Amino acid sequence: MDDLTVKEHELPQRIDARLWRRIFGHARPYRGSMIGLAVSGIGMAGMDTLMPLITGLVIDSIVDRRGGEEVMLWWLLYLVVIVATCIIVWCFIMLAGRVSTGVAYDLRTRSFGRLQELSFSWFDTRPQGWILSRLTSDCMKVSSLMPWFMLDLFWGTSFIGGIMLAMFLLNWKLALAVLCIVPLLAGTTFYFQHKILRSSRMMRRTNSLITANFSESISGIRTTKTLVREAENLEEFQELSRDMHDWSLRNSLQSAVYLPMVLSIGSIGVGVALWRGGIDVQVGGLTLGMLIAFMQYAVNFFMPIQELARRFTDLQAAQAAAERVQDLLDTEPAIRDSAEVQELVRLAAINEPGAPEGWDGGDRRIERVEFRGVGFSYVEGEPVLEGFDLDIRSGQSIALVGATGGGKSTIANILCRFYEPTSGGVYINGVEYRRRSLHWLRSNLGVVLQVPHLFAGTIRQNIAYGRKGAGSTAVEDAARQVDAHEFIMGLERGYDTEVGEGGSLLSTGQRQLVSLARAVLADPQIFVMDEATSSVDTETEQQIQRGIEAVLEGRISVIIAHRLSTVRHADRILVVDRGQIIESGTHEELLEAQGRYFQLYTRQFATP
Amino acid sequence: MPKDTITFWSLTRGFRRRYAAALAALLVSSVLLYLVPLIPQVVIDGVLDPDQAARPSVFVRLLVPAMGGAEYLAGALWVPGLVVASLSILAGAFTYLRGRWSAQASEGMVLQLRDRVYDRLQHLPCDYFDGHETGDLVQRCTSDVDTIRMFLANQMVEVGRACLLLLLPVPLMLLIDPWMTLAAVVTIPFITAFSLLFFKKVRSLFRLKDEAEGRMTSAIQENLSGVRVVRAFARQEYEVEQFDVRNTTHRDLDYQLYSLMARFWSISDLMCMLQKAIVVGVGIILLVNGGLEIGSFYFFITAVTMFIWPVRQMGRILSDLGRATVAFDRIREILAVPVESMSDPIRHAEPVGSGIVFEGVTFSHRASSPVLHDVGFSVEPGETLAIVGPSGCGKSTIVNLLLRLYDYDTGSIRLGDDELRDLGRKRIRARVAVVLQEPFLFSKTLRENILLASPSAAEHEMHEATAAAEIHDSILSFEHGYETAVGERGVTLSGGQRQRVALARALLQVPDILVLDDALSAVDTETESLILEALRRRHHRQTTIVIAHRIATLMHADRILVMDGGRIVQHGTHDELVAVEGLYRRLWAIQSPAGKEASDG
Repeated sequence: MDDLTVKEHELPQRIDARLWRRIFGHARPYRGSMIGLAVSGIGMAGMDTLMPLITGLVIDSIVDRRGGEEVMLWWLLYLVVIVATCIIVWCFIMLAGRVSTGVAYDLRTRSFGRLQELSFSWFDTRPQGWILSRLTSDCMKVSSLMPWFMLDLFWGTSFIGGIMLAMFLLNWKLALAVLCIVPLLAGTTFYFQHKILRSSRMMRRTNSLITANFSESISGIRTTKTLVREAENLEEFQELSRDMHDWSLRNSLQSAVYLPMVLSIGSIGVGVALWRGGIDVQVGGLTLGMLIAFMQYAVNFFMPIQELARRFTDLQAAQAAAERVQDLLDTEPAIRDSAEVQELVRLAAINEPGAPEGWDGGDRRIERVEFRGVGFSYVEGEPVLEGFDLDIRSGQSIALVGATGGGKSTIANILCRFYEPTSGGVYINGVEYRRRSLHWLRSNLGVVLQVPHLFAGTIRQNIAYGRKGAGSTAVEDAARQVDAHEFIMGLERGYDTEVGEGGSLLSTGQRQLVSLARAVLADPQIFVMDEATSSVDTETEQQIQRGIEAVLEGRISVIIAHRLSTVRHADRILVVDRGQIIESGTHEELLEAQGRYFQLYTRQFATP
Repeated sequence: MPKDTITFWSLTRGFRRRYAAALAALLVSSVLLYLVPLIPQVVIDGVLDPDQAARPSVFVRLLVPAMGGAEYLAGALWVPGLVVASLSILAGAFTYLRGRWSAQASEGMVLQLRDRVYDRLQHLPCDYFDGHETGDLVQRCTSDVDTIRMFLANQMVEVGRACLLLLLPVPLMLLIDPWMTLAAVVTIPFITAFSLLFFKKVRSLFRLKDEAEGRMTSAIQENLSGVRVVRAFARQEYEVEQFDVRNTTHRDLDYQLYSLMARFWSISDLMCMLQKAIVVGVGIILLVNGGLEIGSFYFFITAVTMFIWPVRQMGRILSDLGRATVAFDRIREILAVPVESMSDPIRHAEPVGSGIVFEGVTFSHRASSPVLHDVGFSVEPGETLAIVGPSGCGKSTIVNLLLRLYDYDTGSIRLGDDELRDLGRKRIRARVAVVLQEPFLFSKTLRENILLASPSAAEHEMHEATAAAEIHDSILSFEHGYETAVGERGVTLSGGQRQRVALARALLQVPDILVLDDALSAVDTETESLILEALRRRHHRQTTIVIAHRIATLMHADRILVMDGGRIVQHGTHDELVAVEGLYRRLWAIQSPAGKEASDG
């Protein structure tokens, strides 16, 4: 992960043309607008080239004393150019808006859709903030760059071309003399744009470190206080703060050098024009008005060069973001329905229009779930499960107990097909579950996780999440079944109480009850519970326990237990250690056997 | 200790001279910048114009002789050319100095401000943090500080520059031609007003867009953190629909912003260029009537081009000023909160004792109803005290008071022979080690986290502590062992692992008093009993306070307090407490097989 985060802040040496061609491909639906931008760019450049020329013509007609009428004609032309310029400005901003907001929307929609399909192993290795930034800032960077790049590419090149053309037509010798400054201008611009870009990225990077440090200091304030770490923390922070100071100072200095430098170089051009052009005016080779136009061109020359340089450095700056966006879109989900299953689902939907969504035409009732020789490893070479067998019949409840890291949660994850076995298979009514539809399986699962996750919203919305289109009565029935109705009604706003982000406004016990109600509402055939009532006080736990028992009625259930008092009533208790079942039986049988379970059970109250 | 309130003026202390120098450089560079177009003007009027100017301007009369006279210049046009170039370069040099000095001043000020805010924050009392959201505080310390930084570094100088660029040429222009001068500034009030109105409007639209973006972001975030729930209930389609609503709203607002921008830039462009057109138009009339020289005409056009674009920025700068003021007020609020004092009120030479006595302690958070009622108990040095009771009964408050994270209202707390209030916070906290239910680990390596409070501890001491906390083997199983980074960039530790790391950190402090505030709740029972055994075996018997829900965790304590609703309802040893009817026996009955039988039978 480290190299990924570091990479964000380093500038690529080269612009990756293949990548950018693909990125610009996302603008295909907005082809018309993109062409419009190119045309606007050229039009704008035309206006910008005409402007000094008109000023010159005005002056010339006055010098020649050719009377007011012709001058007024030029002045009217000048007005036309102004109005045309403003219309073009309006057009290209609107077009840029259409492209940039449209592409951002498309990229986000597609990325979000992709996130819904990617497997957990993908999420496990990537911090949430990192994924989030792909859909937010990365998409924004890439999409806002496209129209402006397009516009300035055409505007910049045509403006440079326009100025050169006008200069050469007016006086090619003077043009050559003035254009001497161009290489210098271009060199300086590209050099500084690159430097400024680099230091501003370092600034942003340091700034995000400062933000992280602040938020850590605030969330860890008690720890800091109790460890009396204030002075050391300040020292560490001051180092960062000093870095930030240095980088932003460097950035400001670079900008402070750059602009005066290009302006000075431009003024050298003006000086040359005044000197050589003045001589031409004296001998009659150039009019006064055209001399003035020449000087304007010399001043303006840095503008298109600067814009072009900026757009290319933008491209460099956004390359990492572009890579990340494209990379997410290119990632193939590891767990998805095979082509065959997709075909089955399609046929089932045609043959039986009333069937539940995502059904593949196979058995609807789940009679039996088997693990046959299942092996699994998160990291290659470090197996968590090996040759694991398990057979569960409809109506049975199974409890998994054992030490942390023994593979209990992995078994549950494989059953839910959050992960797929690396060897062996899981069979539902004798059919390997990878030959059934994922959507069908998940629709028949009810899962209560170790950390009950609720979404921001009301309690009602959270319970209703269990089943699409569930009404009020269904929600309240589900809550009653798990004994949650009472506490919910006790809240000031009842079912319409907001739970806060991640459910933070409710206590852990209340969150558990809401998530149980949600699972009941889903009316699943298989119920999986990763039980963790550790942070709940004993009496609340009792309440939750009653809720759980209501849920388990008449389903296949798999409970991962941490506290043994909750598993006594399971039909079968499996003691799992290092990915193997080492004991199996009912509570009484296992106690009688005086094995590992007995040890675990008595250990809790052992005397030293 | 810095003064409690700061003003913007006090913030500039130590940097005022820099700023003054920057302003001076700005003045010089602006003057030079206007001199540049004057040179072509005088050359055109005084040298190049075929029918020499009838009414040469002041500058022609001054500057032409200065450069060697009209005849000389006619043969040596390189002289004015060179003057133009060197004046520009000189102006550039001063522009650079202006940028340099103002950057040094503003960055220096911000550096001070940032460090001061950080220092302040660390010394604020805990109840301040209870009343404020972390996100809000972080935003004040980062983006608000950055808003001020940008304002100081860019806008403040920009205001000066715009004013100078506007004011400087006025006398020059007046000297050349008063009518032309009027023509050159006529649209300025309109442009300023227009841009001010626009930036006000755009600000509110920006806020709407930001809010929409925030909602979109939190939709993604919720989806990510709830990914298991989404999959488990197969609700991906619903999620996609929900996201699409927010994505669309955001896109539409963003597009509205673009169209507002399109209107602003095109209309203000029109106004600015019209200003130029007016100058050209009035110039033409005057030129044709012989009231104006061509060179002066050139000067006016160039001058207008120079000051009209900064004028357009004024609206933006003024609205940024409003933002910076708000940001500054928000920071000032933090700096105005009184800090908790870290100094020792009474300077004892001998170490703090390790016996604890609470007598009639009542405590309430702010003005709300008390969380502790008349709590009294004592713990002898070396003893272990356990506290049990339902959530919210005031167990953790006892710990917070003991650490002086909060100050008690009534009653007395004694540590050894000293009243707690008379002991410095630093001294108390250095002798008391606490492990919290949700311990905080810094994003450093595991080694750094464990050594946080005792950086000089030897390797073997650290290993002893981690072994006692049953985390040594787990740490070694990580790829980078003790050098494993914790947090976003490194491994994610489970709740139990974090608790054990924090325990090791606390043990390494060799504290006089060890407090475990529900600190082993996420550790499985077997590991927990190993840890408790190890704690009992430790040769250094510190005074220990254990808060827990599991009876198994606390049954071996020397004394057990049972709390409910902020009061101590029972106390005694395990055996004493199970013998009598009460909350403790009920808990015991629920949790233990033996207890269950006992209560059944």
